[in-house]
Amino acid sequence: MTHSDRIVSRVISLARLPGSKRGREVAKELRAHLDDLAEEARSQGYDEEGAARIVRMRFGEPEEIAAAFASVYAPERWATRILQSAILLASSTLAVMVVVGTVQSIAAVFSSGSIVSTLRALHQESFGFAAITAGYCSLYAGERLFPASLAKAVLPSVALGLCLAALFVCLIPQQAVLPLAAFACAACARLLQRRAISFLWFAGTALPLLIAWVLFGRLIPCWQFPCLVWIGLTISCKALQEIVRLFERVFMLPAH
Amino acid sequence: MGFDRELLKGSIALLLLRLLSERDMYGYEIIQESMRRSQDAFEFKEGTLYPALHQLHKRGYIRSEWRTGENGKQRKYYGLTAAGKKAARRSEQEWFSFTKVVNAILSKANT
Repeated sequence: MTHSDRIVSRVISLARLPGSKRGREVAKELRAHLDDLAEEARSQGYDEEGAARIVRMRFGEPEEIAAAFASVYAPERWATRILQSAILLASSTLAVMVVVGTVQSIAAVFSSGSIVSTLRALHQESFGFAAITAGYCSLYAGERLFPASLAKAVLPSVALGLCLAALFVCLIPQQAVLPLAAFACAACARLLQRRAISFLWFAGTALPLLIAWVLFGRLIPCWQFPCLVWIGLTISCKALQEIVRLFERVFMLPAH
Repeated sequence: MGFDRELLKGSIALLLLRLLSERDMYGYEIIQESMRRSQDAFEFKEGTLYPALHQLHKRGYIRSEWRTGENGKQRKYYGLTAAGKKAARRSEQEWFSFTKVVNAILSKANT
């Protein structure tokens, strides 16, 4: 990596430009300028080290230039983030619906139930689907906002969980516990997926369910149902993990 | 001669619009031209030129296109749009009115 490459790389990584295409174009433009500067310095008799010093002095601090770019593109960056978040949330909710619908349909087949009536009843679980997505994605958002601190990364999940608890208690007071347990399950699964013992992440989907069971008694009529919920949650969290990976590959600016 | 950074920041858009009203230029060329005209008195960190150019581009005052030069190097050229030409005229008038007023105040203060 040349000296110019390092300057460009630093500017692009700090500028938070919306879209990788714009990042590549700005990088190309800055590199052309730095090449011209270095060429001018060499034509004046400077060696490579001297030319690099001149380039650094005349071009300015990468941090200052990046801050100026970040300010220019702030509105686009926010619009892009909102759009990307909406895409992530919509695709995550859809994935959870498909997974839970599939699991319940398979269960209906084995218990001689009707797939059609199972799928029709799915809309009654919309709070649960939203809660799973919210639990998983809020922890992911926390990780993005506070990459260095796990305690801080959990804060958005805790805040959202409390808001959802208040909302569910108002809207569906009789059935509020199950979607809240689903929220906690999804957040715990994400938490365990990111830790050193990530192969234990599926325990994250079971623990909050067990706690809810202990605290609130039998939420569900028969023993098969909690297992079904756990299987649905676990596969949903795996699907969400893959969606988040795909999201990062598609939308996140690659390092230069 | 070093100028106050805030003063430079406030006038960079005017200078860019004025230079680009004469012909299409790329970033390095703009720097060279401004240094030549100011006899090297007008110095600023060259990297900060690009955010300013992108800001003007976003406002619709300038357009840009990649062109390949004689030496085979690709460079991004900037030129004024119709809105940019109007903005350049307006900014110049504002600048002259402003400096006239400031000069009038300063000359009275000195007498």
